[in-house]
Amino acid sequence: MGSSSKEETASDGDTASGGASPSNDGRLFSEGERVLAYHGPRVYGAKVQKVELRKKEWKYFVHYLGWNKNWDEWVSADRLLKHTEENLVKQKALDKKQGVEKGTKSGRSAQTKTRSSADTKAEKDDTKNNAAKGKKRKNESGNEKDNVSAEKLLKIQIPATLKKQLIDDWENITQKDKVVKLPRSPNVDDILSKYLELRTKKDGMINDSVGEILKGIRCYFDKALPVMLLYKKERRQYQEAIVDDVSPSTVYGAEHLLRLFVKFPELFSYVNMEEETWTRMQQTLLDFLKFLQKNQSNFLLSSAYESDKVSDGKGKGKDD
Amino acid sequence: MGGRNDEGGGGKEKEEEQDGMSVHSPCKALPSSASSLSKEQSQVELELRLLEALEIYPPVKLRGIHRHFVLYGLMEYLGRSFDRQFTADEVLQLLDRFYNIEMLKSDDEDIDILNHEEDFSLPQSYFEKEEQ
Repeated sequence: MGSSSKEETASDGDTASGGASPSNDGRLFSEGERVLAYHGPRVYGAKVQKVELRKKEWKYFVHYLGWNKNWDEWVSADRLLKHTEENLVKQKALDKKQGVEKGTKSGRSAQTKTRSSADTKAEKDDTKNNAAKGKKRKNESGNEKDNVSAEKLLKIQIPATLKKQLIDDWENITQKDKVVKLPRSPNVDDILSKYLELRTKKDGMINDSVGEILKGIRCYFDKALPVMLLYKKERRQYQEAIVDDVSPSTVYGAEHLLRLFVKFPELFSYVNMEEETWTRMQQTLLDFLKFLQKNQSNFLLSSAYESDKVSDGKGKGKDD
Repeated sequence: MGGRNDEGGGGKEKEEEQDGMSVHSPCKALPSSASSLSKEQSQVELELRLLEALEIYPPVKLRGIHRHFVLYGLMEYLGRSFDRQFTADEVLQLLDRFYNIEMLKSDDEDIDILNHEEDFSLPQSYFEKEEQ
């Protein structure tokens, strides 16, 4: 991602508007809005953080979700797409074309507002087409090398049956109003130590590196659970289950641990790591996922879910 | 030489020296009977590599959520440089010669995604896969 300088106001007109329609009388995207953003040959999930009118053209400061802040940049509207199903399909198609898939954060279910307003619609479609062409050009001039290595760096392939599990999990919680019965057994700590035990046996020695990675997973889990691993409907349960200094990894189980792996690239994007080291770490993570997969019938049961009793506002009461 | 500038580090001189780590000769002999000179050299080498590694794995990251992965990175870096395994404790002891890690301030607050609650959502791609 090359040109992101903040004082590009002057040169901007020439460089960025390659295929853009000139200026708009209104802004197309608002602060805080989730969007899809072209970068190189692909489209990424992004968030508009600032909007400014510069030289009669609206500029949007975007953060690419799951990517280091260093990638944040000012772009014009031709680089952005509304976060709609239609555009997500487009993104998917581009991904496929590039032969690499990258976990973009899409699938926000409650996305109702698709277009900002009717009168910008036509223009919008216009810019979209232009954007696509412009992108191709950029692609050939080739700043995609960085991209590729960054993608490779963060990718973790979740086995298909575990993906299925994640979908079932989504269905149970968001569609069937269920929650995971807590405390869960085995909990995350149990699972991690079981894996370490197994691995130690297999390797014939204590593998300090694996141990450190597992500690890392546990640490991520505890910190990430309340801020990004819960569906909305699970928040109340969390408030009740996690009191004082109880660590989530002793209460929650494989269902939530699996969600961490969906979010892992986002968290891990803040860490710098040598390629070779990451490759080894990735192998361990994959091996761990396979271990979860093998033990799916122990760790991940449909009977772990129960209907959410407190959903009608009664709250707790069983403890007193 | 040897970064003896830490007040609290204490017995760094007493800790076991790394066996068989000789800077120049390719043959790794000289266990504990190594001359103090080569011991000294191997320590210098060790510290140098560590300092190199810190460029990739900054010590401040040892204070936050990424601590273990950064520590892992350091273990692997040194492991590759000296062709033997390093334990986490070993690396931490080594770091203690230069830094008082406890005093560093975690930079977790720079991690946007940790600073505001966001509901979990599955990426759209999961649902598309399902249809196949």
